[in-house]
Amino acid sequence: MTAQAPLTPTKTVEMRDENTILEVNNLKMHFPITKGISTRVRGWVKAADDVSFFLRQGETLGLVGESGCGKTTVGRCIVRAYKPTAGEILYRNEDGSVVDLAALKPDEVRPYRKDIRMVFQDPYSSLNPRMTVLELISEVLKVNKLESSDTIQTRVGALLEKVGMRPEYMQRYPHAFSGGERQRIVVARALITNPRIIVCDEAVSALDVSIRAQILNLLESLQKEFNLTYLFISHDLSVIRHICNRIVVMYVGKVVEVSDALEIYTGPRHPYTEALLSSVPLADPNGREGRQRIHLEGEIADPSNPPSGCYFHPRCQYAKERCKTDAPELRDLGGNHFVACHFAEDLKLAAVIK
Amino acid sequence: MVQTTPMNKSLAPTPEEHVTESLDLEVASQWKLMWWKFRKHKMAIIGTVIVIIYYTMGMFAEFFAPTHFTTYNEQYVYAPPQTIHLFRDGKLDPYVNGYTFVRDPISFKKTWAVDETVVVPISFLVRSEEYKLWGFIPGSLHLVAADNPRDPFYLLGSDKSGRDVFGRIIYSARVSLTVGLVGVALSLILGIMIGGVSGLIGGWLDNVIQRLIEIIMSIPTLPLWLALAAVVPLDWQPLQVYFMITVILSLVGWTGMARVVRSKFLALREEDFILAATLDGVPRGRMIMRHMVPSFLSHIIASITLSIPGMILGETALSFLGLGLRPPVVSWGVMLQETQKVAVLAISPWLLYPAVAVIIVVLALNFMGDGLRDAADPYQ
Amino acid sequence: MDNTLIDVKDLKVHFFTDEGVVRAVDGVDLKLERGRTLSLVGESGCGKSVACRALMQIVRNPGKVVAGEILYNRGAEGGQAEIIDIAKMDPKGKEIRDIRGKEISMIFQEPMTSLSPMYTVGNQIIENILLHTNLTKEQARDLAIKLLDQVGIPRADRLVDEYPFRLSGGMRQRSMIAMALSCNPNLLIADEPTTALDVTTQANILDLMSDLQKSYNMTLLFITHDLGVVAEIADEVAVMYLGKIVEKSDVYTIFNSPRHPYTQALLKSIPKIAIKREDLDPIKGMVPNPFRRPGGCPFHPRCPQAFAECKVLVPTTTQLTPNHSVQCLLYENFANRIATEQKQ
Ligand SMILES: Nc1ncnc2c1ncn2[C@@H]1O[C@H](COP(=O)(O)OP(=O)(O)OP(=O)(O)O)[C@@H](O)[C@H]1O
Ligand SMILES: Nc1ncnc2c1ncn2[C@@H]1O[C@H](COP(=O)(O)OP(=O)(O)OP(=O)(O)O)[C@@H](O)[C@H]1O
Ligand code: SF4
Ligand SMILES: [Mg+2]
Ligand SMILES: [Mg+2]
Repeated sequence: MTAQAPLTPTKTVEMRDENTILEVNNLKMHFPITKGISTRVRGWVKAADDVSFFLRQGETLGLVGESGCGKTTVGRCIVRAYKPTAGEILYRNEDGSVVDLAALKPDEVRPYRKDIRMVFQDPYSSLNPRMTVLELISEVLKVNKLESSDTIQTRVGALLEKVGMRPEYMQRYPHAFSGGERQRIVVARALITNPRIIVCDEAVSALDVSIRAQILNLLESLQKEFNLTYLFISHDLSVIRHICNRIVVMYVGKVVEVSDALEIYTGPRHPYTEALLSSVPLADPNGREGRQRIHLEGEIADPSNPPSGCYFHPRCQYAKERCKTDAPELRDLGGNHFVACHFAEDLKLAAVIK
Repeated sequence: MVQTTPMNKSLAPTPEEHVTESLDLEVASQWKLMWWKFRKHKMAIIGTVIVIIYYTMGMFAEFFAPTHFTTYNEQYVYAPPQTIHLFRDGKLDPYVNGYTFVRDPISFKKTWAVDETVVVPISFLVRSEEYKLWGFIPGSLHLVAADNPRDPFYLLGSDKSGRDVFGRIIYSARVSLTVGLVGVALSLILGIMIGGVSGLIGGWLDNVIQRLIEIIMSIPTLPLWLALAAVVPLDWQPLQVYFMITVILSLVGWTGMARVVRSKFLALREEDFILAATLDGVPRGRMIMRHMVPSFLSHIIASITLSIPGMILGETALSFLGLGLRPPVVSWGVMLQETQKVAVLAISPWLLYPAVAVIIVVLALNFMGDGLRDAADPYQ
Repeated sequence: MDNTLIDVKDLKVHFFTDEGVVRAVDGVDLKLERGRTLSLVGESGCGKSVACRALMQIVRNPGKVVAGEILYNRGAEGGQAEIIDIAKMDPKGKEIRDIRGKEISMIFQEPMTSLSPMYTVGNQIIENILLHTNLTKEQARDLAIKLLDQVGIPRADRLVDEYPFRLSGGMRQRSMIAMALSCNPNLLIADEPTTALDVTTQANILDLMSDLQKSYNMTLLFITHDLGVVAEIADEVAVMYLGKIVEKSDVYTIFNSPRHPYTQALLKSIPKIAIKREDLDPIKGMVPNPFRRPGGCPFHPRCPQAFAECKVLVPTTTQLTPNHSVQCLLYENFANRIATEQKQ
């Protein structure tokens, strides 16, 4: 690795502080591009490129950005669906010991899979339609021998009740449920192993407005009850605002801003965050005529062929000469507010909340 | 219904909706849903019934055929079809009329005519000619037969040795239909194994397999069959020839199946529920058997049904051309071989009945396959 | 002078499926005023798409317009009224084909499904222009380039020869808009045109649409499930639930003083950027299965204010103010209806 790690000064397996449960350092995930029948690699999609952030025990961290910026990729690296190309994913076990998940071989990851679970976006495609609810939820217990087979039913039943479903529905197939109910099943499947971290990848994006609120409330009350830590991936900034304590903003595979949730909305420090926030439609028509919106010109950059310097410079209204050549590092502006922009201190950016 | 203890009134779905829901649909498995969808297709149901009848008749040919396919009667060569009369003298007493010779007044050729005065008594579910079911279970019960096995009883006429065409068609079904089934089974095994390796392991192996499939697919089927069938030695036992033919048919047939299986595996790898199972730590074997295969098995069954007709036609074509099965084995193709001479066909057109049998079963299998294909994905 | 472009009266569209009849649109009244934007909002499956497809007679099989009128004033603005009933037209007839794509045009959620991958974007726009006008091919091509330029496509003279799949989602939606505008329609129906797009692109498209609406002075029927988008773009709002319009008013009234319990609940259940609330207030239960619609007020099983009569009486439209109507028994004087219905 050539880039220096901004969040960890040394390369020992040490984490920031006792409160940090997961720390991602300079995570890179590059997918090879091949064409036609040849297996020759023609280039790389840099879906995640030098991503660094950390998760505190019990918090909800939001990961936002436009489509294709690498949110899902980061989430899947953390649950080790992908083996990262480079970087560290440090995880603090319950006993305080620290392990680098990124370095583990596939079969060494197994013990950690029950600690870090995932909730998917699409409640239709993430449940095997050919298995009953009981089979779906209990499979992880069975294949990992985490529970004896005669108590599995009681355990699944109790959990179903926790997520607001009737335990009698255990023997039904997923097609008998609506989108919202399916998402409850997906949440139950994630919870059955008593995890510590749950990666929610667009967990409510496919749901209707009224159901979305039910699931958001469910996630919040489960978090309190089981002291869960969420990495909440979403492109919906209103949902993120509602549920997250801190927010990571991504643009084309890179982290551009990390901060407390309220600070992002009251005082964004990166021009991309400002533009993203100003695009969010507010559910309030009063005073809409006077509202100023920042229009982002041009297209989002191609992660296999990103621009030079700051990836955002072709669309940034504050860009100067330096932005075309120098890539800005993610810098700590103090108060746990990290920004990757050369002029973060000087810019006066508009906020959505005054 | 049992009342749950909701954590919070807004979290639990309201009970009203569920009470009204029919439990039936909710606990229905994949196969039940498929059946509900399948039974909506009238033609598919008809096709299925026909296919079942065919296979049952083929299976119990000894019972359904009035006489064995080798039984001959040199007195009645090329005898025309008879009609069954159910009533005699107002009583239920089925019979057929016998035959007599007439000389055509113009050509002076000997032709058959039905002799109304001769009565050949027949019976349903009657003990007549003895047989050994599947070669070892002795029996003599027939669905319908002449009371005296030596009497002429030719529902669909007789052939050049005075053998019953109807009975031979039934015995042929046993051979022709199982060639289709065994051939498909062989190509299925080959297809799933090779396609599975290709889709699951991928890499250069996948590349090699795909190129091989393309090469095989680019060779026209019929010439390939002909070439392969031509090298089958003439002195082989009928059973050996039979297996050789099925192997030849499936050597060509597996490629399509392999492609389907491979593409299904590739598509499934991207599915969220497969990723979810991976994260659950499901081992590879269970992943394939429990998650992947069930989700395309129904598609495979549908495409099998659609490829059996090809196999049946293939066997028929090879045998017709004299390159497939050979007498004394009897199959539809073998029977149709006799119709190659126009002169024979002109005086005894009933020898074409095996072709009718082929057409009906091919159509029926196609209808059934279409229905299955539509029902294969019940979750849409 | 009456400024109504389209007056929909008691429109009913039913789907006759094997499992039963789905009353997708079940008695809808709507008035579209010239030069205004009406937003039709509601949860998935409430019948928004079917209702607006009925306006162009493009309801998919097995759906049928079974009742109601769609009175369309073809006459020029301020001129002689020329009212025809679209609901009575044959879906395959010449009459409606002349209107479709010319006087009323539509853009869809997924532009890829309505743009053919086989032809260039330009070809498809030119095709539509030639079909409905007397322009020559060259003139049509120039017009197409001008339109693409107008919807904010850079280097329109080159992009006109691109195939749709080579464009990004936002660019495709822009070309769809250009195509829809090509014959200067009286009414543009937009069915969730920004749902598949990123917020940044969505913001651009929304601004583009309201600019175009002003410069063309067209009527816009904007369908969405996103209340944020409604607040941005709508003049008038109609809230739909299970095939009925439960509340209808101008956008400020709907957001500031909603009266129907469903509208109130909907607004309470969405997370808002400006205020952080401890707990969202979701609507209990879920949208019922289309084959098992509840009797009485369709919302009663989920309504926090439901009372006994809601289970049996179907609410009728109550006019609260001249431009605010609601279908809810809370506001209806139903005493004499009970009497008459009991007599029957
Ligand atoms: N398995 C893969 N192989 C190759 N490229 C991939 C793969 N997965 C993702 N990518 C590419 O990586 C980039 C980031 O994708 P990712 O799915 O992480 O984005 P995202 O932020 O989750 O977007 P969305 O909001 O649309 O879900 C995209 O350009 C995508 O095409
Ligand atoms: N082709 C069809 N066959 C049967 N029912 C249909 C068909 N199309 C729509 N429906 C029914 O009509 C109702 C309304 O559908 P519609 O597509 O208008 O909903 P919508 O409000 O546009 O929802 P969405 O937000 O999901 O687009 C649904 O309940 C649906 O079941
Ligand atoms: S570094 Fe430059 S281009 Fe990048 S966001 Fe900051 S000002 Fe804009
Ligand atoms: Mg994603
Ligand atoms: Mg719709």
